[in-house]
Amino acid sequence: MNRMPVIVVGIFLTFLSSWIGLVAYPYLNLGRFTPVTDPDSGEVFPPPMSGLAVAGQRVYAASGCVYCHSQQVRQVGYGSDLERGWGSRPTVARDFMRENPVFLGTMRTGPDLANIGARQPSAMWQHQHLYQPSVVSPGSIMPSYRYLYRLQKIEGQRSANAIDLLPPDAAPDGYEVVPTHEAEALVAYLLSLNRNYPLPEAPESSQ
Amino acid sequence: MMSQDPNKTQPEAPDTFQMDMERDDINVRDVHGAILREKDDPRDGYEPIPLWMVSIFMALVFWGGAYLAFFSGGFQADVFDPSQVAWGAGAGGAEKAAPDPMVVGKKLFTANCVACHQATGQGVAGQFPPLAGSEWVVGSDWHGDNHLVKLVLHGLQGPVQVEGTTYNGAMPPWKQLKDEQIAMILTYIRNEWGNSAPPITAEQVAKIREETASQTEPFTQAQLKAIPAVHFGGSAESAPPADGTDAPPEGGEPPADAPAATGTPTGV
Amino acid sequence: MSATLTMKPEATAEAEARAKVERAEIDASTRLPVVLFYGSAVFWLLVGTLFALLASFKMNAPTFLDQWGWLTYGRVRPAHLNAVAYGWASSAAIGTGLWLMARLCRAPLRHSTLLIGAAIFWNLGVLLGTFGILSGDGRSIEWLEFPNYASGMLFVAYGLIAVWAVIMFRFRQPGHVYVSQWYLLAAFLWFPWLYSTANLLLNFQPIQGGAQGAVNWWYGHNALGLWFTPIGLATAYYLIPKVLGRPIHSYYLSILGFWSLALFYSWNGMHHLIGGPFPAWMISASVVASVMMFIPVVTTAINHHMTVRGNFQALKWSPTLRFTVFGAMCYTLSSVQGIFMAIPSLNVVTHFTHYTVGHAHLGLYAFFTMIMFGAMYYILPRVVGWEWPSARLIRWHFWLTAVGIGMMVVVLSIGGILQGLALLDPGVTFMVTLEYTKPWLFLRSVSGILLTAGHIVFAVSFTMLLLRVGVRKTEPTLFGSDQGRKPERLTV
Repeated sequence: MNRMPVIVVGIFLTFLSSWIGLVAYPYLNLGRFTPVTDPDSGEVFPPPMSGLAVAGQRVYAASGCVYCHSQQVRQVGYGSDLERGWGSRPTVARDFMRENPVFLGTMRTGPDLANIGARQPSAMWQHQHLYQPSVVSPGSIMPSYRYLYRLQKIEGQRSANAIDLLPPDAAPDGYEVVPTHEAEALVAYLLSLNRNYPLPEAPESSQ
Repeated sequence: MMSQDPNKTQPEAPDTFQMDMERDDINVRDVHGAILREKDDPRDGYEPIPLWMVSIFMALVFWGGAYLAFFSGGFQADVFDPSQVAWGAGAGGAEKAAPDPMVVGKKLFTANCVACHQATGQGVAGQFPPLAGSEWVVGSDWHGDNHLVKLVLHGLQGPVQVEGTTYNGAMPPWKQLKDEQIAMILTYIRNEWGNSAPPITAEQVAKIREETASQTEPFTQAQLKAIPAVHFGGSAESAPPADGTDAPPEGGEPPADAPAATGTPTGV
Repeated sequence: MSATLTMKPEATAEAEARAKVERAEIDASTRLPVVLFYGSAVFWLLVGTLFALLASFKMNAPTFLDQWGWLTYGRVRPAHLNAVAYGWASSAAIGTGLWLMARLCRAPLRHSTLLIGAAIFWNLGVLLGTFGILSGDGRSIEWLEFPNYASGMLFVAYGLIAVWAVIMFRFRQPGHVYVSQWYLLAAFLWFPWLYSTANLLLNFQPIQGGAQGAVNWWYGHNALGLWFTPIGLATAYYLIPKVLGRPIHSYYLSILGFWSLALFYSWNGMHHLIGGPFPAWMISASVVASVMMFIPVVTTAINHHMTVRGNFQALKWSPTLRFTVFGAMCYTLSSVQGIFMAIPSLNVVTHFTHYTVGHAHLGLYAFFTMIMFGAMYYILPRVVGWEWPSARLIRWHFWLTAVGIGMMVVVLSIGGILQGLALLDPGVTFMVTLEYTKPWLFLRSVSGILLTAGHIVFAVSFTMLLLRVGVRKTEPTLFGSDQGRKPERLTV
């Protein structure tokens, strides 16, 4: 192996093989999905995301949630994802067609969030949990995201979106804790995470 | 030892490299002592590859081919389960037996309910009420099957008493689930963890869904208590015990459809 | 050594003298870029270590510094990864790669001042990128968190460096091409392709989410496998025979190892997504490719081992050799571990746990970083013209980092397996799986403190060398030389 062309062509070809298999192939086969319309209800799956949820996706990325939370329900036989109730069926590629970037994740320091919108559909719960995670779920090592919330003086009536803090946390008298736009967006995104709808390539384990 | 190296080679060097004369090697030795003592650049030895290694590698390659043949779902882009051997035959398509509510219900329960009520059905002390042995689930005391279906469809808020303990949380509505799904979940929780109660059918859920279509907010315990208990199994228990403040039952006799509560605004 | 010399014919002695002058020229020509890249590498090593410590502490005490978004765990952790991957490891790889390439091609680095521009651009890119992540511009795509303004700069800088390396190879002196050169050439060609494709498809013109995961891990795994690994192996292939003065065991094993690595490593990425939302064949192909890594790994391990065999006492004296052989052994270890982790029945335990984190550190630290330390101990005295000031500092550096990384890998592996087994059992509530990891995460922080101390010692040693502290020495700085012990064989 003393000739440059031999080495360079070999280097090119070996790498090209994986480029075709793991870049070009998914680009062509998994990168051009269209949503599926359910013939019974006329609903579209995966459902479109609201603008607020898309903004929340950016907050999710900026906050690095993906380093502790995955968003995928593995196939049957691959872990206890289904038994833990993290989804009613394994996730498939089409589920993520509207995601950018996609947060499949590689760590489960915290539980999977692929269907958190179905599992914890209460916006207030999500806000409380983001603000005081170790109070809402004792033992959790999730950091508080209280920098996404604002302490403000109550002007007249308490704001409709003020957070009901759980003890021992409490806003000082005459003050309330309200979510910033970023927190509202993040919660909207979390609540939008519900991939329990049916898809033809993902037979639901219930039906 | 180190000094041997340059001493031996130095005398010859200046003759052969006229052009390097300016860069005198005294200078080189000063600045680059490390270079003078360093050994030759690496060379290759030519030991052959041992036969055992070749054999093991060939066996590995064979294994790799076999693995791909068995666990690649026929190299189709829409087959996601590696254990599904999909050569030739289309995915799925087999005849399905009637679903067993204890199997399917459990799956749905784990998908939707365990986050609060836990896989053990014990709930979380002080936060989420238990289902195991709960009078709400099996329909004892004043609780009817109709109450159970209603609170699952529309949610429940405010203080509730379960097994003698008061909980103050909020259960979200689950009307997005299909009738069959709710029926399976309820049948499952009524017959798990030592519970034992008759099954609930999709038709019964459908009927109550229709009756309570105008309900927009979660029920409260007081509201539900005001509705006479109905037991789908047939045996109807009588109205709730008179409780002073509670609204009196509207119709004493409870046929399968209880008329009450629809559209009653929640006062909280 | 003297025996081999005297046996040489006169002509060879002449050629050797010529080679020495040539080497001096080459070393002088690489001085500026090598010192610049090494200097910035050490700087980013310290910065990256600081972020790592912070992230580790935050797992022990979640309320620690949680009032600012800038220092939330989800930003500090990617800041750590990118600072060490692009700031430390890549800079060290570039410095080492350029020097090795010049040495092995026997061609001086021409117009090396232009590479200063590349170094400045690279550092600016890492700085902006790290700043971007902390300020909330991070993309949360593992290994590609840098916002576009930073990754663009990195690409320009890298392009310049790669062109330099390839041109150097093109104008090499005729003769045998050594195995290290294949790896270097491949790494310098693969990485720009890899980096541009992944950034284009994920950050600049993002493709649909369903396909992003595959591209993400194609990049993520290949950054390790086709950028750091070849540079690390090229360095080991050079330094081990060089320091020992022995030929590498087998040319044929080198060839087999190189091409099987090129073919199989590039297909490994999907094993990060086993069970995930991708067609079964993609996952299975990566599982097979991962198991096939047995071929290059065993080949390389045997090749290195047979070269060192009979000379292990040299590890007692030579800092370069000790770091390099430690790294080469950990390459085998981490690769074999990686093979087992890719087998689906074992992957269900280790996937999504701290075991993977331990594995990543075994690869990028115990293997790659330790070899880079070894390379720096060899190369810097040559380009700076000054011996390492203190053997004691080197000894502290070695033991602090070796014990630190060993401890980190062990505790994360134990914690990860406990966590993984608990996660597998649906009867164990999630909070309990977390409880299992807590004591091990605490020990991980302890090991992190050891590593930090080792890095500070190294940075002090490095600064003293650059400032030419102490007296001029003609002897190399060897372990034990400060304790009055005389090595029976001088090795450098």
